[in-house]
Amino acid sequence: MLEIVNVHKNFKTKNGVTNALQEVNLSVKNGDFVVLVGPSGCGKSTLLNIIAGLEKATSGQVSKSGRPILDAGPDRMVMFQEAALFPWLKVIDNVEYGMKIKGTGKRERREKAIHYLKMVHLTRFASAYPHELSVGMRQRVALARALSMDSDMLLMDEPFAALDSQTKSILHAELQQIWGATKKTIIFVTHNVEEAVLLADRVIVMTANPGRIKKEFRVQLARPRNIEDIDLTSTVGQILGELKEEVEKVAKAELDSDWSLENSSFISRPDTHLGNGI
Amino acid sequence: MQDLSIPIAAQISMQRLFIGYSISLVIGLLLGVLIDRIKYLDEALSPLLLGVQTLPSICWLPLAILWFGLGEESIIFVIAIGSIFSISMAVVSGIKHVPPLYIRAAKTMGAKGLRRYTSVVVPAALPSIISGMKQGWSFAWRALMAGELLTPTSGLGYVLVMGRDLHDMNQVVGIMIVIVIMGVVTDRLLFGRVEHAILCRWGLSKS
Ligand SMILES: Nc1ncnc2c1ncn2[C@@H]1O[C@H](COP(=O)(O)OP(=O)(O)OP(=O)(O)O)[C@@H](O)[C@H]1O
Ligand SMILES: [Mg+2]
Repeated sequence: MLEIVNVHKNFKTKNGVTNALQEVNLSVKNGDFVVLVGPSGCGKSTLLNIIAGLEKATSGQVSKSGRPILDAGPDRMVMFQEAALFPWLKVIDNVEYGMKIKGTGKRERREKAIHYLKMVHLTRFASAYPHELSVGMRQRVALARALSMDSDMLLMDEPFAALDSQTKSILHAELQQIWGATKKTIIFVTHNVEEAVLLADRVIVMTANPGRIKKEFRVQLARPRNIEDIDLTSTVGQILGELKEEVEKVAKAELDSDWSLENSSFISRPDTHLGNGI
Repeated sequence: MQDLSIPIAAQISMQRLFIGYSISLVIGLLLGVLIDRIKYLDEALSPLLLGVQTLPSICWLPLAILWFGLGEESIIFVIAIGSIFSISMAVVSGIKHVPPLYIRAAKTMGAKGLRRYTSVVVPAALPSIISGMKQGWSFAWRALMAGELLTPTSGLGYVLVMGRDLHDMNQVVGIMIVIVIMGVVTDRLLFGRVEHAILCRWGLSKS
């Protein structure tokens, strides 16, 4: 059980304070597949990082199985927007790295690494170095590495954004199958609403400026799901409607603040806040 | 009278270089790691090191002679001091520029403390550390020659001075060629290869 209670997150920068998350409340049951969607900059990655223990919330509580999350740990594997492989290690050693830290035996480690590399169709590249792979292949190695850790929670930040649709749909199927078999809790961030509805039990729509949770959709379609399924398409339509409003709001806010900046340079008033926050 | 034969002189010089460079390697790497680990040292020493690094190492010779006398120790001191700072600065900046993403990935996989340091931070910083070591080696080489030219002891630099004193043009040019060859061999073949291999493996250059 993951409990996020009243979480706020501010980033202090040179240009002032960014309110990345405001009053976020979310509880995730063990085995849930939760997908976060929302306009760019609404704090999805920030929220995921807080759950991962890589960022600290400015205020509020985050706890997993009753224990507050204070630090990153191997019970919450993360797949980042970039693969984050170590360039000095071969693909297979990258996959084995986490298991090595965990203290898994050499033999078992190798077997598992090969098993997961097989799953992402990369056994042929086991002894290649990461820079010899394409971006999508690297991302698949990162998936193999994350799965091999057997964590009960998997945090994924737009993991498949760089993949072609063919590979993507293979991995969607794999991920659903793994999720069904291992009962992992998965929190998944994406821009792609179809992907969200295809994978999720729960789709959480977030809003920007400040980042908060706007609405939650429960997806109760039977699995395995098909992207052309009519019920799926109608759920996608609903969520897109919700999102469109958000994206437009963000775009409008950006336009307005650009407009105010431009104008304040020839209106001789030092009022750069003009039009902000509409 | 010292032995003036070139192979013996070359051997003496290489030996000095080896000792001086080894000392600077140990101290330079340790100093770099210490500065990185201890924030206070970083604030206190980094600007100082940057300044000291600009001082040509031969400028340490008078001080070394006052400390150690006119001899072996002074030359070795000058060699070591010539490369310590570039090695430790390279360690510090290499570690500072380790992509945070690697650290985050390592953290989520449970790598902590010394283990994380040796398995992620150091390898990630290695390309920069190696180029600092290479630069340190060329500084050490220059310091060696300058030291031998200015102290009447032995080695290639000294034989070069003797050649001048004896008006022996052949000897002077011959020794210069030997010095060039030794420099190229160590710099290109030894360090160049190691550096190239590491850059290729890290995916930082086309092989
Ligand atoms: N390290 C940081 N320092 C300062 N501001 C930050 C930092 N990280 C994120 N932010 C700000 O917090 C807000 C949320 O960022 P975040 O990366 O969580 O967005 P996101 O929803 O993941 O966007 P995207 O979909 O584009 O990845 C943004 O306004 C961003 O500018
Ligand atoms: Mg993001």
